[in-house]
Amino acid sequence: MKVSLTVNGSAIETEILPLLRLSGFLRDVLGLTGLKEGCCEGECGACTVLLDQKPVNSCLMLAFQAQGHEILTIEGLGKADITGLQQAFLDVGAVQCGYCTPGMVLAAEGLLRANPCPDEGEIRHGLAGNICRCTGFETIVQAVFSESAVRQGMGR
Amino acid sequence: MNQISCRVPLIDGVEKVTGALRFTADMNLDGLLHCGLLFSPRAHARVAYVNAHAALAVEGVRAVFWHENTPAHHYNSSIWFAGQDALKDERMFAPVARHIGDRVAAVVADTEEIARHAARLIAVEYVDLPPIFAPEAALTHAGHALREDDIPTFRNPVADEVFIHGNPEAGFAAADLIVEARITTPRSHHCAIETHACIARPEPDGRILVLSPCQSVFAVQAVVAQALNLPQEKIRVMKTPIGGSFGGKAEPILDPLCAFFALTLRRPVVIRYNRHETFTATRTRSSVTGRMRIGLSSDGRILARDTETLVDVGAYCTGGNYLPSSMLQRLVRLYDVPAERYRGRAVYTNTTPSGAFRGYGSPQIHTVAEITLDIAARRLRMDPVILRLRNLVGPGAIEPLQGLDVGNARGRDCLMRGAAAFDWSARWQIGTGAGRWRRGVGVAAATHINGCYPGFHEETTATLRLLPRGRAELVCALHDLGCGADTTLAQIAGETLGLRACDIVIVPADTDTCPYDLGTRASRMTYICGEAIRRAGTVLAAAIRTAAGLELNAEAGDLRLAAGAACRPDGSGLTLAELAGRLFARGADLPAATETYRAQANPGSYAAHFAEVEVDTLTGRVRVTDYLAVHDVGRAINPMLVEGQIHGGIQIGVGYALYEDVAIDPLTGRMRGDSFSRYTLANASVMPPMRVLLIEEGEPTGPFGAKAVGEIATIPVAAAVVNAVNNALGTELTHLPVTPERVLAAMNL
Repeated sequence: MKVSLTVNGSAIETEILPLLRLSGFLRDVLGLTGLKEGCCEGECGACTVLLDQKPVNSCLMLAFQAQGHEILTIEGLGKADITGLQQAFLDVGAVQCGYCTPGMVLAAEGLLRANPCPDEGEIRHGLAGNICRCTGFETIVQAVFSESAVRQGMGR
Repeated sequence: MNQISCRVPLIDGVEKVTGALRFTADMNLDGLLHCGLLFSPRAHARVAYVNAHAALAVEGVRAVFWHENTPAHHYNSSIWFAGQDALKDERMFAPVARHIGDRVAAVVADTEEIARHAARLIAVEYVDLPPIFAPEAALTHAGHALREDDIPTFRNPVADEVFIHGNPEAGFAAADLIVEARITTPRSHHCAIETHACIARPEPDGRILVLSPCQSVFAVQAVVAQALNLPQEKIRVMKTPIGGSFGGKAEPILDPLCAFFALTLRRPVVIRYNRHETFTATRTRSSVTGRMRIGLSSDGRILARDTETLVDVGAYCTGGNYLPSSMLQRLVRLYDVPAERYRGRAVYTNTTPSGAFRGYGSPQIHTVAEITLDIAARRLRMDPVILRLRNLVGPGAIEPLQGLDVGNARGRDCLMRGAAAFDWSARWQIGTGAGRWRRGVGVAAATHINGCYPGFHEETTATLRLLPRGRAELVCALHDLGCGADTTLAQIAGETLGLRACDIVIVPADTDTCPYDLGTRASRMTYICGEAIRRAGTVLAAAIRTAAGLELNAEAGDLRLAAGAACRPDGSGLTLAELAGRLFARGADLPAATETYRAQANPGSYAAHFAEVEVDTLTGRVRVTDYLAVHDVGRAINPMLVEGQIHGGIQIGVGYALYEDVAIDPLTGRMRGDSFSRYTLANASVMPPMRVLLIEEGEPTGPFGAKAVGEIATIPVAAAVVNAVNNALGTELTHLPVTPERVLAAMNL
């Protein structure tokens, strides 16, 4: 079947199998391997992408369901340079092995787009669907907090 | 100090945060073939007949492998080097499946989808054999003759370790109080977010290249050589980026299969396990049943201790025979116990094998010991912090097992500083509150090793060389598991050379280009590899100063290396890039230094953790509401990364206390917690805010005073949390994880 969607700002129209997952489409067909797969059942959040600005588990969607929608993967987040949010992750040590990081960054980005000024509880709740086995989430929460302050114009 | 004690961001962080870093599953080699494995649905069964016709008929299938057409060499996937003495009981595909999830067959095909589809078409006839699931039952099980040569491979116990120090009978006779507890620790899973994967590629010269997210390329080489009965030099192993391991990727599980398929089919092959396979067909933390008896004087001195442990190693020995002695080694380093008796046994069962997992026995034994000690404190009506302070070892103590000096052991500082920062004496009280929600606080102490001395060949070789652009290359067979070891070690190298961590170019571990190293395990990276690198850096710095002295017409001893330059006392000088450029232009060798460091000591790292919990007495749910971790790290090379290790260790420990259990069904041997939806991990919303305090008193034998932190971070957590629950409820919960059902059952006793 045919699907047309926007991925990282580029319009794509292509022939796909009806049962192809969105995660498989993005990774295997488009080669966007920044998207990671950790469980394929929507529990770990490693495959998080933004669908029309909102975080979704791309393993739980079929590619055709993205028809007409706009997808953002980690590859599309910073155009030339890394974003402030990504820099914040690095600065506070919110990255260790790096496997959950792309999904975590996108979940955080989606959270900040929906709620520019979250409190700690809202950050923790917003990231509850993304599992990190390295950091205990402490520095991830800090990174999101610090980026939210920057976006509020409060400096880092 | 320009690099030490600095919060340097990961030197490979940008690739990680942008998703540009290619993990094994992200790599696409020309002509890559894919695998789908078939796993045993039976806990113990002879694989009587394999019919692969239907699978082979599928378009795109290249081959089907099972026990009859793969090497029958027995191997042990836990060995670290060729010739290591270990019980060889594993095969690529066994004629007898020993656990649900044991490998029975594999399909290699053009795509993973085809391979997985075809694997389901393989018809297998099983002849069931009696399984054993309970370790207690396994103890009395003499063994089956399972191999064709009738050699029993199920000889229980696989280890029986006895240790006696002092006079335990006299100690117990003199005791004012004797407490006894039986503690069970669960079988937990590593849950690295990257599932297991491996690539093997046949090379034009007839060798095989294995690309593996591993903890030691040399261990992979040794295991593949043993499994395929090939000379080691035929196998080249390169480490790929690793998306978390925690010990789960310490043993090469896929690598022998992958290498054999690639050699046989003369095509590169990838094996990627999915989450379910990673749960059921790799390794877990061994479960331990511990009985501990402690005799104390009324003022809280431990007079005697008697411990029995029973370790369930699962279906294959792997390194499980070391576990009882590993647990003993860590047990005797924490408290000054004048009389000790220990017996540790390990048994096979028909369950998923156990293997290395962060702490290697330490979380199990310290959970047993610290929960028992807390029960003793309650019976003595004594503050558990004070009880621990009465007994903790101090600097320079000699542990009774191996006679090793524990070094600058600062466990007391951890407890005292932590108790003050946590406001322990105000928050701790005997007796439970009223109402639905009860609060309690708990404490636990722990110790862990620094490397393998004196057990293994504990040495490593580091080479540092000046590069033409004024940076330096580091060769030391390093495997950063995500903990930031590369960054930490680059800081150590940079400190000696006046360079920044990001100026150190780390050559990824490769059996062809790196000298032998035991790998990332046993909390040895910073302490052992760091010291080798510090020494190589010191020698290279002297060589650079000599070369710069000739260029600058100055005494080498007057020059200082800083900010990428060799400087005279007045600040003038030349950059290392200029120096390298001049030497290079002249055809002179660029300075390099190689140093081998052989460990002379194995000091202890120490920690004290403090937890506050809130228990809902209606539902039995426990929530950790506050957490403080205090660690004796000697010196933090990178405090940010040290704190990160501790934060992550707490997450694993909170799960160990409250949620995590693969829960082998006692009747069928099936793993119930075999996916993220059936195995609960602490997520961002349940993790408490965490505070970390570091005690930095310096370890004389460590590089810049540093000691290990990676494994110890997770060791005291479960006991601190369970002790807090028992404090909140006045219970004596001893079976982990402390699930709501167990909490409610204990309250209703």
